[in-house]
Amino acid sequence: MIRRLWQPTHPVHTTLGLLLWALWFVVLYGGLSIVCAVAPPAAASGALTGLNGGLLLLTATVLALLAIMTWRCWRAGKAQAPGSSERFMARLGAGAHGVSALATLWIGLPVVVLPPCV
Amino acid sequence: MFGFSVVVMAALYGLWWYAMRRDPGEISDQQAQRHQNRWVIWGGLALPIGSITLLLAFGIPAGHRMLPLPPAEGEALVIEVKAHQWFWQVRYPERDIELINALVIPANTPVDIHLTTADVIHSFWVPRLGGKLDTIPGRTNVLRLEADRTGDFHGQCAEFCGAGHAHMPFVVTAKSAEDYQQWLNNPDARTQGDRDD
Amino acid sequence: MTDPRARHQAFEKVWGNLPGFGTLAAVNHTSIGLRFMVTGMLFFLVGGLLAMLVRTQLALPEQEIIGPEAYNQFFTMHGTVMMFLFAIPVLEGLALYMIPKMIGARDLVFPRISSLGYYCYLFGGLIILSSLFLGIAPDSGWFMYTPLSSAEYAPGPGSDFWLLGITFVEISAMAAGIELTVSILRSRAPGMTLTRMPIFCWYILAMALMIIFGFPPLILGSILLELERAAGWPFFEVAGGGDPLLWQHLFWLFGHPEVYILFLPAAGIVSTLIPVFARRPLVGYRWIVLSILLIGFISFGLWVHHMFTVGIPQLAQAFFSVASMLVAVPTAIQVFAWLATLWTGRVAFSLPMLWIFGFLIIFVCGGLTGVMLALVPFNWQVHDTHFVVAHLHYVLVGGMFFPLMAGLYYWLPHISGRMPSERLGYWGFWLTFIGFNATFLLMHLTGLLGMPRRVYTYEAGLGWDWLNLLSSVGGFIMSAGIALILMDLLLHFRFGKPASRNPWNADTLEWATNTPPSAYNFGSIPDIDSRHPLWDDPGLPDSIAAGDHHIPEIDHGRRELLGTDAIGARVREVMHIPTNSWWPLCAALGLALVCISLLVRVYPLALFGLVIAGIFLFRWSWENGAHPKAAPLGVNERTDPPLHSRTTDGPGRWGMIVTLMADATLYLSLLFGWFYLWTVSPDWRLPEETRLSTSGLMATGVLLTLTVFRYRRLTERLRAGQDSGLWPASVQTSVLALLHLGSLIWVIASAGLEPGALAHDAVLSVMLYYLLFHSLVATLASLLQSARIKLGYVSAHLPYEAIVLKPFWIYTLAIFWISYTAFLLLPLAWGGSP
Repeated sequence: MIRRLWQPTHPVHTTLGLLLWALWFVVLYGGLSIVCAVAPPAAASGALTGLNGGLLLLTATVLALLAIMTWRCWRAGKAQAPGSSERFMARLGAGAHGVSALATLWIGLPVVVLPPCV
Repeated sequence: MFGFSVVVMAALYGLWWYAMRRDPGEISDQQAQRHQNRWVIWGGLALPIGSITLLLAFGIPAGHRMLPLPPAEGEALVIEVKAHQWFWQVRYPERDIELINALVIPANTPVDIHLTTADVIHSFWVPRLGGKLDTIPGRTNVLRLEADRTGDFHGQCAEFCGAGHAHMPFVVTAKSAEDYQQWLNNPDARTQGDRDD
Repeated sequence: MTDPRARHQAFEKVWGNLPGFGTLAAVNHTSIGLRFMVTGMLFFLVGGLLAMLVRTQLALPEQEIIGPEAYNQFFTMHGTVMMFLFAIPVLEGLALYMIPKMIGARDLVFPRISSLGYYCYLFGGLIILSSLFLGIAPDSGWFMYTPLSSAEYAPGPGSDFWLLGITFVEISAMAAGIELTVSILRSRAPGMTLTRMPIFCWYILAMALMIIFGFPPLILGSILLELERAAGWPFFEVAGGGDPLLWQHLFWLFGHPEVYILFLPAAGIVSTLIPVFARRPLVGYRWIVLSILLIGFISFGLWVHHMFTVGIPQLAQAFFSVASMLVAVPTAIQVFAWLATLWTGRVAFSLPMLWIFGFLIIFVCGGLTGVMLALVPFNWQVHDTHFVVAHLHYVLVGGMFFPLMAGLYYWLPHISGRMPSERLGYWGFWLTFIGFNATFLLMHLTGLLGMPRRVYTYEAGLGWDWLNLLSSVGGFIMSAGIALILMDLLLHFRFGKPASRNPWNADTLEWATNTPPSAYNFGSIPDIDSRHPLWDDPGLPDSIAAGDHHIPEIDHGRRELLGTDAIGARVREVMHIPTNSWWPLCAALGLALVCISLLVRVYPLALFGLVIAGIFLFRWSWENGAHPKAAPLGVNERTDPPLHSRTTDGPGRWGMIVTLMADATLYLSLLFGWFYLWTVSPDWRLPEETRLSTSGLMATGVLLTLTVFRYRRLTERLRAGQDSGLWPASVQTSVLALLHLGSLIWVIASAGLEPGALAHDAVLSVMLYYLLFHSLVATLASLLQSARIKLGYVSAHLPYEAIVLKPFWIYTLAIFWISYTAFLLLPLAWGGSP
């Protein structure tokens, strides 16, 4: 079962990347809010705080994962016959993972420049 | 921003109209595929991504400047504003001054407005001085304002707050540094404005 | 039976509605879909009338035609009626009507749920509307921000009407969401793989799933706010440890996806019509599917952009700002894919295309102002002004109403068998289009000049006077346009030219039915091998009617659908679905009684209503499987493919799982509320001592675990085809379940929580009652199942029902231990008392 789901041509991959993105987004926003409520870093230290660093690390990890998945789906799509359902799903998966990666990159960028809790 | 939007809009309308009118002749599936890739990749991906980049490059620094971060020198002037249904109660914490529906501030000086509410959610807004900020029960929100000239500025409640929502205006008067000091020492306008409920 | 006329009559006898008043028992998707649409249009007229009153009041400065009290009710009701009683139900109705016909099915898989949904919508809508005529309508704005909507600042029953009525109406949205999802996934014509589905079905699938994940936060929020108003449980009240911002989070967690729930089906109409009129397959089908997926996900990450002015850290605002702008990507992909389709096709210009062109002009403008609004500093300036009012009308009217009208004109020949009048239609379009732009284009400027929204009047001389006057004039031009369209619609039923079959030369299966359609849609179900069945084989409608394809038999007297697997659409089973039924109407009446008695605060009556609604619902579930009214065991059973009640994986199991996904979203919203209040509520307080018995709860949890394990063994044996000892096993399960239920009630009753005093205890109580509700329903269902085993409705040959119930027990177990951890253990570890 799991092995079949892990095939890049399975329709699950059309939402897997987006789910990962959503999860990351929740952790990003939730983590920020909780740390700001419990132990906010000083406003004067700008964007150079441990909190920003942690969020950035998380973002980079998710980004790497999504990039690998995009590549996996894309490669799998190439191997399938044009017009086949498998190729459709693999290409769709590659697109969804790719845009998820893009969204992760863009939404993560403000972490570099903005102070966290002001 | 508006100019760019108008250009994008007009171009899109024109293209669409032309696409509906034009006679493409016979098009094979491969040609259609090429058209698809050209339109979708340039219009559907490159255009919005490019525009967003531009917007953010402008927007994030602009937002940053409006934050109530500690100013480079000295401290920002603090004024406390408490919203009620339906009037604004203004207090100068360092002096014993209280105004209703009126603020007096020095021009060209950053001012931090500490916003609270006595009842429901309101929103403090002076259109010509900057953005709006809500007053939330149980919280104090800080809005940074700076008037770049002297004069009167019209303000009002921007978050719907019940039957008197339309009648919750106030006036911000920006004075020069000397006039402001003079006013502080002799706040004859202690009862300026009146309750409107 | 080869005579087509005799075949038709035999099918009509099985599939038709009952005559006379019996039509109220109809469950057929064509009837229910049309009822949704017609009711929605009537509510639209009410909403439009309210808008006219609002524009009359604002036409000139300092007018006192309508006082602030009435004005506040009017604009609140305008938003509420348009959003909840017009836009969502009409689109649901369109989907309910269209989806089975597009996927080559005879009906939806849960017809009685369609009917229940319709009655909940109708009764709920009438209850909400009645408040307007009684002069006690809600007046806190359609997003009901507390504390303005709380018992203290809105003491009248207005907010109760909103909270209870909308929750009631939302049952219909949830019903449609569940049933559309399962129908699209499990009842497509054989061979119609996911990649061959009409594009409209992708949009509706995404919409249905978004309803399932988007509506529960609002349902939870409404329940909490109503509990606060009626019983004083302080979820949103700072003094009791609550936080008014929690309401805003829950509301917009629903509210933003909601906008896309409206936009997706409308965009689906556009994607369906453009290829037909361009006479060219949709260019970039895969790109469009991708953008549907993206919208479905990204739209859940935008909700905070409605809350940029409440004082959230700017970094957090930046996340939502960027996410909001990113939604422009999938939208642009769609716009350019449509453009490419038109570019490569030769366009036949007609009335539906005119509405599509109008849609594009208005929607692109609304989309661009939307990107602007996502920019935080700009948002701080124009938030809550008429600029936002203009933007949202551009997006909603442009993005939903215009495509809806295009679709209406396109499918009108399908519904009535007649063509509308071109001339009246053109006039209607141009008046609406010009009136709309006159009203709302100028409103952008009014907002930029600083006019806040929701003011019932304004001072003269602020530069807003002429803009408002022109907006009001535009509003009246638009209503004249809509009146013309209405006239066109009414007249066409009588004077319209009869439509030929497939008058637009479309490619999708809905045009293979009769026009107007018969109750059973298709006499037989064809194999599908491309995205354009009617372009490939124009003779398909005739061979379908002649019964040349799958399941052409009708002498068994059952309503039958073909069940296929979710991805590859291979035939799996024959689904037998219920016929006309009064239970949905009875259950909806029971729920209406609950709603009304809560409004007038007669709580014993509400409890009574709840009990009878429950009885009706269980009675309804009784007529399933091998029950004489469903599909009793016969001598010559179908075996290839088998009837679904003889299998272990039919639509019921899918419906159960999708329902539990919605349920889980509700539960997650509650968990979110709990953690939210713990961390950011300004005045969060804990009770002085632990009142809830941790060990008592542990004990009842162990009983629950034993119950579920017992039940799981029972279903595993059934799956393996063994039913010896089934009845004792089921009785054991039920006894264990009753023990668990009893001990849970004891733990709750002896906890002595004070939900009226502390938000902490209030949330804890809601969680406990939520667990109790699930344990109660699961136990009752197990008891009934024991009785059905005794009657022979469940056996090795009929394992279906036991397997449908299994996910519910597992869910009940899961939420129990998650709650135990999150509500009791975690706070203990945190250092507080639970």
